[in-house]
Amino acid sequence: MASAPSRLAALTRLRSVIFQTSYNPTSQRTGAKYLKRRLRGPSMMDYYPQQLSISAINKEFGLDLIDEDEEQRLQDVADKKKRGKGAPKKAKSAADSRRAQRKR
Amino acid sequence: MPPRPNVRVLRDIKARKGVVDNEISRRAYLYVARNQTLPAQVRYQAQLQLNTFGRYTRPTTVKNRCTVSGRGRGVISEFGLCRYQFRLKALAGELPGVQKASW
Repeated sequence: MASAPSRLAALTRLRSVIFQTSYNPTSQRTGAKYLKRRLRGPSMMDYYPQQLSISAINKEFGLDLIDEDEEQRLQDVADKKKRGKGAPKKAKSAADSRRAQRKR
Repeated sequence: MPPRPNVRVLRDIKARKGVVDNEISRRAYLYVARNQTLPAQVRYQAQLQLNTFGRYTRPTTVKNRCTVSGRGRGVISEFGLCRYQFRLKALAGELPGVQKASW
């Protein structure tokens, strides 16, 4: 004997009550998976090993240590600028940036 | 002292920070926007809010780069190293259980 559809629906409803699952006969999307999923951020932050840098140490402890590599880099940049080999000025308008393109 | 992280690694770290900071609110909006039991107007507004988040708040912008060289391609995910750094470290015996094949 085939069961009536209403009886089957009643059965699924009863089943969801017994097993404490949500009753969703039309399989509507409730978005629950976005709340249930674990947060991925915390493990993402652990991927790269902690970098020690002198500037970070200075900021953390309020010290004034000198980063020789950084000093050298700034010195090189200043020297280049003095010789007219510095970075070009930022274009102020669209026309400026087009002109810079054409020169190249 | 380890080498300075290159700019792409810094950008990736920025993306990771953005994901951590915005993950919960993004999830809340996602829940509303994808929930078919809510009125369409509400879902639409939630979707508009989702679109206002910056590009460095989406988890898909995060890429696992080589933790030593910052290379983006050829990264062996089990070690977090690109193929060349993996080879160097393996030959130097710094990766436990990794041996050069020989037969």
